[in-house]
Amino acid sequence: MRREDLTARVMKDMDPDLFDFLTTYMDSFIKWDLLRFFHENPHTIDTGENIARYAGRTVADVQIGLKSLVQQGLLEEITVDKMLVYMLKPDPTLRARLEQFIEATKDREFRRKVIYHMVRR
Amino acid sequence: MNDTERVTTGVPGLDAMLNGGFLRRSANLVEGAPGSGKSTLGMQFICEGARNGEPGIILTFEEFPEHYYRDAAAFGWNLRELERQNLLKVIMSSPEVTKADFENVGGTIQNLINTIGAQRILIDSITHFEGLRQDPVELRKLMYSFLNALKRQELTTVLTRESAHIFGTGAEHHQTDAGIQFLVDSYLMLRYVEIESAIQRAIVVLKMRGSAHENTIRQYEIDAHGMKVLKPFEGQEGLLSGTPKRMADSFMKAFVKR
Repeated sequence: MRREDLTARVMKDMDPDLFDFLTTYMDSFIKWDLLRFFHENPHTIDTGENIARYAGRTVADVQIGLKSLVQQGLLEEITVDKMLVYMLKPDPTLRARLEQFIEATKDREFRRKVIYHMVRR
Repeated sequence: MNDTERVTTGVPGLDAMLNGGFLRRSANLVEGAPGSGKSTLGMQFICEGARNGEPGIILTFEEFPEHYYRDAAAFGWNLRELERQNLLKVIMSSPEVTKADFENVGGTIQNLINTIGAQRILIDSITHFEGLRQDPVELRKLMYSFLNALKRQELTTVLTRESAHIFGTGAEHHQTDAGIQFLVDSYLMLRYVEIESAIQRAIVVLKMRGSAHENTIRQYEIDAHGMKVLKPFEGQEGLLSGTPKRMADSFMKAFVKR
């Protein structure tokens, strides 16, 4: 069976919105960590270095994840007194989609699919 | 605005100690050992505001907002719902970002304060701010500027401060002490005291600028509804040392009202 066929089979029963969120934003485990972190702590406003400390990940890895999420439009990056600071975009639609995704990851089967999606990239 | 207007704390018994509550647009320091209830008192103050239609901000350094949502829920306070109603924002940041945000016009934290029209703020804890400067003089200037920025935003503030000692020996003297107790408008101390082999909790108002306040040391407890201030300790001396002694019977009979 070709790889694409297997993927299609694994993902075929997934909610289209969740599938879209997954394929649009989730391409690394660091970004998954960061999205979960910003969902649980939605008014965090801090530097990459501090966010790395909160997430328990390396600064270098977290900086890459944060930059990518900024490019994808989920996070905002602003400069405060020469410090680059990150926060979740206040867009309610985006936040609702993030909530839907994080809620879905509480299901073991869905989590397996997310992991499969990331591993095969 | 009336300078003597009071802001109720929501903690039963505490407003009476404060002659009606904190003064509006004041900075109020709550100092205590780990687990003494500083954050609980702060959250109760914020929830009281929300009940009275005064939106509030919880600004935390290091402690995750999700922990506040959880801890508050244990007391029946639904912080997420208050956020949905724009009566609250729980913000996590770092002292360096917060300092810079308040110093600049149009800072993000300031915008959040303005967006919901916040009138109260809990800073939990100011101890983290003390790491920003090693020099006590510089730190004092920084604290002074920060407290003024909070007042500029028309906020009534509760600042928590960690005490290193489980049982105290009076007011704290931190290594890089900015003397914040001199800068704030009121100074409350929470203490554990050991009485007859049991741990009890004591609260005292050490200072309240521009207002009378009670100077007794009272017991308090934290139950399923939050913090509650109880009656004054009687017949004990040296409470703030953490290990009080019973007063002599003759003194009690002569001077302490029964």
